[in-house]
Amino acid sequence: MKDTSLNARNLIFLSILIAVLGLGICPVNAQAEIKELIIGIGIDADTLLPYDQTTTLMQNMADLIYDSFFFQDPEGELHPRLATEYEVSADGLTYTIHLRKGVKFSDGTDFNADAVKNAWDNIFDPKARVPLRFAVGMVQACEKIDDYTVALKLKYPFAPLAPTISMSLVSPISPAALEKYGENIRENPVGAGPYILDKWVKGDRIEMVRNENYWGPKPTVAKIIWKIVPEAATREAMLRAGQIHICYKPLPSNVAALKADPNVTVEMPLDTRTIFMGLNCQKGVTTNKKVRHAFNYAVDKKAIVDKILFGTAEPMDGPVSPKVFGHFKMDHQYEYNPEKAKQLLKEANFDFSKTVQMRTPQGRYLFDRQVSEAIQAYLQAIGVKAELRTYDWPTYVAGLLKPIEESELEVFLLGWGPLILDADMGLYGQFTCEVNPPKGLGSAFYCNPEYDQIMKASREEQNPEKRLELLKKASELVWADAPWMWLHVEKFVIAYSSKIKGMVVTPTEKFYPHYITMQ
Amino acid sequence: MFNYLLKRLISTIPVLIGISLLLFFMLRMLPGDPAQVLAGQMATPEEIENIRRQLGLDRPIYEQYAVYMSRLVRFDLGRSARTQNPVIDEIWARLPNTVLLAVVAIALACLFGIPAGIISAVRPYSWLDYLVTMSALFGISMPVFWLGLMLVVLFSVILKWLPAGGTGSWQHVILPSITLAAFVVAFIARMTRSTMLETLSQDFTTTARSKGLKEQVVIVKHALKNALIPIITVVGLQFGLLLGGAVLTETVFAWPGLGRLIVDSILARDYPMIQGAILLFGLLYIFVNLVVDFIYAFVDPRIRYD
Repeated sequence: MKDTSLNARNLIFLSILIAVLGLGICPVNAQAEIKELIIGIGIDADTLLPYDQTTTLMQNMADLIYDSFFFQDPEGELHPRLATEYEVSADGLTYTIHLRKGVKFSDGTDFNADAVKNAWDNIFDPKARVPLRFAVGMVQACEKIDDYTVALKLKYPFAPLAPTISMSLVSPISPAALEKYGENIRENPVGAGPYILDKWVKGDRIEMVRNENYWGPKPTVAKIIWKIVPEAATREAMLRAGQIHICYKPLPSNVAALKADPNVTVEMPLDTRTIFMGLNCQKGVTTNKKVRHAFNYAVDKKAIVDKILFGTAEPMDGPVSPKVFGHFKMDHQYEYNPEKAKQLLKEANFDFSKTVQMRTPQGRYLFDRQVSEAIQAYLQAIGVKAELRTYDWPTYVAGLLKPIEESELEVFLLGWGPLILDADMGLYGQFTCEVNPPKGLGSAFYCNPEYDQIMKASREEQNPEKRLELLKKASELVWADAPWMWLHVEKFVIAYSSKIKGMVVTPTEKFYPHYITMQ
Repeated sequence: MFNYLLKRLISTIPVLIGISLLLFFMLRMLPGDPAQVLAGQMATPEEIENIRRQLGLDRPIYEQYAVYMSRLVRFDLGRSARTQNPVIDEIWARLPNTVLLAVVAIALACLFGIPAGIISAVRPYSWLDYLVTMSALFGISMPVFWLGLMLVVLFSVILKWLPAGGTGSWQHVILPSITLAAFVVAFIARMTRSTMLETLSQDFTTTARSKGLKEQVVIVKHALKNALIPIITVVGLQFGLLLGGAVLTETVFAWPGLGRLIVDSILARDYPMIQGAILLFGLLYIFVNLVVDFIYAFVDPRIRYD
């Protein structure tokens, strides 16, 4: 008969098994608590009202205070949060959202369908300042079905709606707080997220404390301090000196040195933001497709990424970032080939006596002016006279938004960063006729009815496979027409103490430190 | 004296009106639309128009000015376009930091600059004089930004003695005030040296020496006292400039002062905030000049404001 009693060896094995399993399923509140986490950031928040801001970093903060309906992870997968599931009607015009039960806002108010309807009504209110309203412009109404179910009624079918409502833009706000604070809700945010705003010292720091009544797993970090340190070099120094734990966007030129430091971990996932040189398709020398192709061949994008951006970007291989749903690496790449560029210009009867006007913002994107200067040099190398003008951002945008009759744009640098991991915001938001200025910032004035038709169909298509086919078709079309010099996709760089483990960093330039552990 | 004070106070009113008028129209001549900046790059034209309407920018410019002035006489600087908080609250949150940094920096600069200038003038063309002159040249030429970062590297990263940035304790003030003072101390030292050299060669100094007075008494009581007026002028001007915000120092040391607030507001075309802060600077500058004028009278009894 086999002895089934626990001998010493079995006992040790069992103990190890329990320990290993225990660690794996251990609730986070059993892990060592981190009393304070200090994050060095570059700018102060203008507002923490989720529907009133446009900055990714502030949306990141808002996510911690309000929570969202869904969470889109770095791979693009949707996870239930305040919403548990959703259904789409056959015509694609109604999304039924099931809400999580038993959740309360941090002020004790119940989270339910009324609160959600209230949040949507705020966004629909034409008097409210909602800069990103366009992102949910397809939703025309939010109807309460029962206490924990709402229906979103759409004006037109929009396949990527679920990731869209994972944005903090539509995060529910405590109705009681809205009533209590009125206009001052901007400085007194109350949501159902894992943190509560504790203190906001203007220009200096924002302090958040853990919401002890949070519906989800208890965060390991008791207090998060967002320390405002505008100078990236100082943020890095503070990280090295141990005065902050996380350094948001260190200087690209110092990334190599930070990586070499054993006390620092550097993460730099590819971002959704593409950087490009827009080429005016309706005015000037770049109306000729051969000229646009020549300009694409004239620039060594790999060299720009390596030498100017210190490897904190990757050359574009399709019209959208590889991180979004609907990205395809194009079969044909515009490899650096100045001879081919010259040949194409000859075929296009390019007038070399003309000076091409280039424009660039300064300080908006990573080394934007330097990148533009390099491109100017590349164009000059193939015999094209190019004059580069630099502007501050407000002046620059004013120039980009002029209609074609008034537009003086020929070649201009711009960046475009979709807020969700879906190609729609890139392909629709930059290349359809509808977004040509002054209606949108599709300042290359690309307008192709065939392309528009494909994009419209992609919004209506609920089948992901079929939708991918349509997005691929649209990508191929615009890639071949080349309304941009396809430059690079930025990386989101974040450096933190190597003691920190378990940081979640997303391609939408966000990071979530509340379940980290610290060795 | 009281009449003079009253006259000076009354004279500030047209100056402030002039500043507000110039600022209001110059700001609106700048290219760039505040509504567009606030709305962000992806906003629709309808949303931008909505924001423009909320900010009152859709009204004729003379109407906007009338509204602005009618608020101003009631001491209402309006609300920031960016944060939508009252401008005065945003300024008050940062003003104490700016004043603290300016006061400590100017005190340090006087503490080191005046004695250095005196030593340099008393021993002209000696190695001490060359040392002071060279240090002053170094202080003036050194970019504030670079000096700040070097101090951070040395005292925060390597020695770990002082915090690299932020506020909260007296240690936080040390590095930014040294950085700011380095530039001002050079100015003060150079000015002290040149005015002291001038007074030391004048007849009353020779008379004081021939009376058999001790050299320290001659230098401090006779020469320095007469050399103080231009030094006070320089100190006053520099203090006024420091109150205007030391943007680079504030940026390097994450110091939440008014300089950064103004730069951020200009970049966002936040008209109410820029107008409010610049107007306050104007007021502070006038006040500092007034104080300097009274110090003149205190230092030199020949100056009277009757």
